[in-house]
Amino acid sequence: MKAGHVWRIGWRNLGRNRRRTLITALGLALGYTAVVVMAGLSRGLVSEMIDNGTGMVTGQLQVYGAGYLPDRSIYETIGGRGGTDVGALLAEVAADPRVVAVAPRVFAGGLVSTGAATTSGVLMGIDPAREAEVSRLLTFIRSGRAPEPGRYEILIGAEMARQLDAGPGDTVVVVAPAADGSLGNDLFVVSGVFSTTVTELDLATAVATIDVIQELVALPTGRIHEVAARIDDPWLAPEAADAVASDLAAAGLEARVRPWTEFRPEMVDYARMASSMEWLLIVFVFGMAIWGVANTMLMATFERQKEFAVLLALGGGPGFIVRSVYTEALVLAAVSLAAGVVLTLPVLAWWSAAPPDMSFLYGGFTMAGGLMRPILRVEWPTAMIFLTGGAMFVTALVAAVYPAIRGARVPPADTLAGR
Amino acid sequence: MRTRAVVRASALITAATLALGSTHAARAQVSTCRRAETPRDIIDCVDRIMRGESSRGTASMEVLTENWSRSFEMQVWSLGTEYSLVRILSPRKDAGTATLKAGNEIWNYLPRVDRTIKIPSSLMGASWMGSHFTNDDWVKESRLIEDYDIETSFEGERDGARVWEFDLMPRPEAPVIWGRIVYRIRRDEMMPVWARYYDEDGELVRTLLFDDYRRMGGRLVPASMRVEPMDKPGEYTQVRYDDLEFDMDLEEDFFSLRRLRGGR
Repeated sequence: MKAGHVWRIGWRNLGRNRRRTLITALGLALGYTAVVVMAGLSRGLVSEMIDNGTGMVTGQLQVYGAGYLPDRSIYETIGGRGGTDVGALLAEVAADPRVVAVAPRVFAGGLVSTGAATTSGVLMGIDPAREAEVSRLLTFIRSGRAPEPGRYEILIGAEMARQLDAGPGDTVVVVAPAADGSLGNDLFVVSGVFSTTVTELDLATAVATIDVIQELVALPTGRIHEVAARIDDPWLAPEAADAVASDLAAAGLEARVRPWTEFRPEMVDYARMASSMEWLLIVFVFGMAIWGVANTMLMATFERQKEFAVLLALGGGPGFIVRSVYTEALVLAAVSLAAGVVLTLPVLAWWSAAPPDMSFLYGGFTMAGGLMRPILRVEWPTAMIFLTGGAMFVTALVAAVYPAIRGARVPPADTLAGR
Repeated sequence: MRTRAVVRASALITAATLALGSTHAARAQVSTCRRAETPRDIIDCVDRIMRGESSRGTASMEVLTENWSRSFEMQVWSLGTEYSLVRILSPRKDAGTATLKAGNEIWNYLPRVDRTIKIPSSLMGASWMGSHFTNDDWVKESRLIEDYDIETSFEGERDGARVWEFDLMPRPEAPVIWGRIVYRIRRDEMMPVWARYYDEDGELVRTLLFDDYRRMGGRLVPASMRVEPMDKPGEYTQVRYDDLEFDMDLEEDFFSLRRLRGGR
């Protein structure tokens, strides 16, 4: 028999009991939708975590002086004790096509005090305009505004503000050990208060412009501790880091370049775990679907016992019966997949374009050091769309094994005699 | 970086106070210490050298780090273990900077901005003004004999002098940060030679060296103290006393925020 005929028979067999076929196909299609949408949600959660974990402050790529890490000594600036041409350095890092924006930073440990209340924390010197392109730190300002260059203004975290009982317009003393061994201290006006809900940040971070922090801790303008960079596709950060490191080395600058996958390894681990969960999801969903499909196929096999007996009596052979059952299973899988794709893709398209805001159910929360917004974000799980389709065919084939064997073993004489 | 940096502002004073404390300690110390026989009594005597009654003095402090070196001249007052005040006299950039300890509180005065700030208790373990002393060195009120079990580990001659060496192991409930302290004491003068501080893993963290035993204010005191951190080879903080007076007529109200700011 020609292959085309076998497929046609498989297709027609699905029509013997259309209601049953429809229910089975719908079950498989919904299973497909569930797996793909769940995978999309999982990837959305991971992307949200990475975006927030790296976008809040750190950026997706960081450049340091060779000896800066792990102690983060104030003396270990990029380019060594002599510093570097910061403008040229920023241009060098920004030259990588994967890098979208760059921002210089200076760090110092220090005290912020109103007199009676004192907190300790990291003083972060930024270029506000550039920083806004790299991180979302300045978007978390809840009152007041960002510090302005050249002015002794400071932006403090909400928890620090609470402990100091200070707010925009108040004057605080900022004290920090300077690079020359002296004790840098000056009066700053609180320009604003930010709230990320990440307690460590809100409690122990104070932000001023880079020129002011450099002056406070006696660092010349050419000495900075970090260049942070934004990369839109965070998974390209490792190769971007390698390329930037090579470029800087070629330019004669000894620096260390770290992608977020290096300084936030827990997020990589989580992403891997989420990825493995997608496979588990396939196994669970289609593992259950197998029994439904097998039941359908078995019922069809019982209904076709006489047909199989005739075919066997005419010399069709068991192999033909097996092929027939398998063909029916594959056609069922194809129909189910088509229905699943028709059902899933619009849902994904709508969901990814307009992720529902769940703030009426729960607020933002922190995960792996990043603020998670209360939205159900979905990412297109392109690979899973195809893998799940493949899994559906495997499901149909596995489910057809027993019915095919039963069909192939029908005793022709007894069956035709009604015994 | 954060914590270390923060309290450097207080550490300079720590050194000065410690240093001064070590001198005024000697009041009636020699005579009573000579009668000390048990390790506990001996350590108690030496420990009290590091603390003291009322006193006033001037000292210089030299801090050498990998990145810079600085020298300060300071004036120091103390009353018992509860009160002390250190004011930097030079260099000019830092002159007027002062730290006050009153009970468990530490306040700094910053003349450049004319403000006093309170140092939070969470920063007691950090250094001050870049020195290798910590606020805790200065603030702690507990005595060695209360927090440590003491055993003699050596008794005999070292470097041409008769010495004792004592092992101090913290008692289980003692609120101390050291896992072990080893003290060497010269028997003839009842003066400390050095103290070695170990962490809980048994690693030597820092060494405190005493030297230049001199009579100041009528007592024999180690006029020089030097702390060497083991994790930063070559770095040290050294305090030397120029003059000392003991049994000053100081009252608690001397150690006020007004005084911290330079008032009278």
